[in-house]
Amino acid sequence: MTDKIDKYVLKNGMVLLGEPMEAVESVAFDFMLPAGAAMMPDGCCGAGSVIAEWIFRGAGDRNSRRLSDELDGLGLARSRSVGSSHITVGAALEAGNLAHALDLYADIILKPTLDNDQFELSRQLAVDGVLSLDDDPRQKVMFKLREQFYPDPLGRSPVGEIAELKALTAEKTRQIIKDNFDLSQTIFSVAGKYDFDAVCRQMEKLFDTERQQNTGRPKLGPRAGKYTHLDNDGAQVHIGLMTETVKQADENYYNARVAVSVLSGGMSARLFTKVREERGLCYAIGAIYHCLKEAAGIMCYAGTTPDKAQETLDVIIRQFNDLADGISEEEIQRAKVGLESSLILSSESSGSRAGSIAGDYYMLGRVRSLDEIKEKIEQTSVDSVLSFLRNSKFGDFTVVTIGPKQVTVT
Amino acid sequence: MEFKEEKLDNGLSIIGEMNKSAKSAAVGFFIKAGARDEIRQINGVSHFLEHMLFKGTDKLSALEVNEAFDRTGAQFNAGTSEEYTVYYAAVLPEYLLDVTQLWIELMRPALRDDDFDIEKNVIKEEIAMYKDMPSFDVVDQCRSLHFDGHPCGNSVLGSNESIDSLTSGQMRNYFTSRYAPNNMALACAGNFDWEQICSSAAKLCGKWQSQVVERKLEHYNGSKKKKRIDKSNLSREHICLMSSAVSAQDPGRFAASLLGIIVGDNVGSRFFWELVDKALAEAASMQFGPMDGTGAFYSYIRCSAENVALVLDTVNGIFRSLSQDGITEDELRKAKNKVLSSLVIKNELPMGRLGDLGSNWLYLGQYRTVEDDVKAIKAVGVDDVNTLIEQFNPGDFTQLSIGAAENN
Repeated sequence: MTDKIDKYVLKNGMVLLGEPMEAVESVAFDFMLPAGAAMMPDGCCGAGSVIAEWIFRGAGDRNSRRLSDELDGLGLARSRSVGSSHITVGAALEAGNLAHALDLYADIILKPTLDNDQFELSRQLAVDGVLSLDDDPRQKVMFKLREQFYPDPLGRSPVGEIAELKALTAEKTRQIIKDNFDLSQTIFSVAGKYDFDAVCRQMEKLFDTERQQNTGRPKLGPRAGKYTHLDNDGAQVHIGLMTETVKQADENYYNARVAVSVLSGGMSARLFTKVREERGLCYAIGAIYHCLKEAAGIMCYAGTTPDKAQETLDVIIRQFNDLADGISEEEIQRAKVGLESSLILSSESSGSRAGSIAGDYYMLGRVRSLDEIKEKIEQTSVDSVLSFLRNSKFGDFTVVTIGPKQVTVT
Repeated sequence: MEFKEEKLDNGLSIIGEMNKSAKSAAVGFFIKAGARDEIRQINGVSHFLEHMLFKGTDKLSALEVNEAFDRTGAQFNAGTSEEYTVYYAAVLPEYLLDVTQLWIELMRPALRDDDFDIEKNVIKEEIAMYKDMPSFDVVDQCRSLHFDGHPCGNSVLGSNESIDSLTSGQMRNYFTSRYAPNNMALACAGNFDWEQICSSAAKLCGKWQSQVVERKLEHYNGSKKKKRIDKSNLSREHICLMSSAVSAQDPGRFAASLLGIIVGDNVGSRFFWELVDKALAEAASMQFGPMDGTGAFYSYIRCSAENVALVLDTVNGIFRSLSQDGITEDELRKAKNKVLSSLVIKNELPMGRLGDLGSNWLYLGQYRTVEDDVKAIKAVGVDDVNTLIEQFNPGDFTQLSIGAAENN
């Protein structure tokens, strides 16, 4: 790892980023296309997941089967996800196959076949995805939480809403793809073993398109409810809880990250210790920092049997509120070591680095070096974290529960 | 890459694969103690014991253990299966010795009664959590149905009843018999100093007492039973199919894992084209699960209630055509590319490498390089896979489904 970032901007405005890694034979790449759940037109919730499926069902002169066979022939591990802001498609593979893989992905993005028959199947799978979420309350509670916490449309479900998916047409979806696959707003990243000059030459040729008009960002509405309960006759009450904090571009970002790490960084952190170790209330309990470009929050999950749900929620909220009262030097040290260590451990994976550099560029307009991040983490202290917490006290908590019993949120 | 090994007089194996260019190191204890080693009265003890190791020693409290781990910035955890229990951590190289010494200490736990009592609640919460995950629950229950009395069908978590009745004394006895040095291996991978780890382990583990310990190995063909469980709060039908396969020791295991990819990889497989691509099922996968002395193919399918009959007809058709016509050269080539590429990517991380290092040691008692595995995968021919299909007939399966009663 050289801590060097390659960057090149194509004529159409697409940004190419690269991070060379020594000692790996693999390469990973991602295309971040500005077609996430929040970017979909009103009434089209879930269109992103239909699109992410549909574009892989034939591209260029290849039908669905041939395209899939060619991708499999390269042995690449495909990834695709629909987030709030982007659809991200990418892969990890052996370095020698990169050029061939990029040829295929250029067709998938620029020349997807978009057959009507394939649309119906893609939409059916998206509807099935929504229904399956009912059988996965742990995941469902977190989707619902984001929807309730973030100002609309930022938290809209990437999986979709049944009624809106059913109303979606192939024609409408083609138009969404045309409007949203805006290459001037697309970020491409590559990490691992690659030749950046060769990648740039190939990408310039493959994506030789006119610059599109920027589609812009959505207008934000209000936040939704404070407490939402969905009844489910399951074994546990699944609790999701979120409160606002600073965004990645904020000067207090690293203080916020260290604070979250004191709460839930490791097994000696407060939530695990107070909720699970001392009281045996839960098996799964944890909080993470969750950030979009426009807003950020600390997002917490706990799953517990119905009779313990209220106590679990109360103990969790107390841990959040007690944080500003005092944090020991040792706690801060452990939080910092944990953050730095996970940063370096994840830097060994080409897939993880490709995702990180693209994410940084979208959030900050630049890629932070590992040294910079380490230095900023190092600069935090008990005083800086406490003064941040005291100056920006946790406000309201948005709470969602799924299970056989409701809780009281004060 | 350089491999080193040493065996202490008490039987503890210490193995390491060094890669000086790695930026991290990983360490793990691999113990032959899993649900299959339990008798009915103590079902769930292996997994419960794994939780109890984090509760500390005569010298360390649970909180001190967690603090000690977090001071090293380790990404650490443990897991219990039917087959074994593994404790592992990935750290920056400068912390490997500390974290290894900590694991060594924890391998001789205090097993205090008050910790045992409070942790029972956590275990029961974990059992409840998995009850709300039907995609997990259906596989777990299908395994019990398939192995039908064979120890490999024992539940890893146990039940609320078995956990309630388990005593700390029973756990201590189980610990003494299974966590014997001759029944475990300490493995390291990545960037570390072999001499340092080895001498430290020799000093700290040398006094551990070896025990007579055994595991009965017996191949099992499976019950082939069919069962459905009603669960009113579910909206989809969750189906698990299981059939017997070669063991983790069998040279045919590479062909078996390729067959799993050909039939049930999440893209480009026969299940994918016949079920998912056509939107008959939302998820359909098949995997080879190698085990000690036996093995199984597991399939998991999720679909709507109205598609169940069509999905099962299609699955039977896929297995029938496999039996009649076998696989094609082209399918095998694609499956190999997928397996080889994921093998390379996984093994670029010391943590990825540690798993293979440890399990090869437990199952085979031998070291295999990544290149050995690459070679073995490349050598598999169409005939090898077709012979396997003929021998094990994956279409003759045990079947368990879970879904809402009104869907049946």
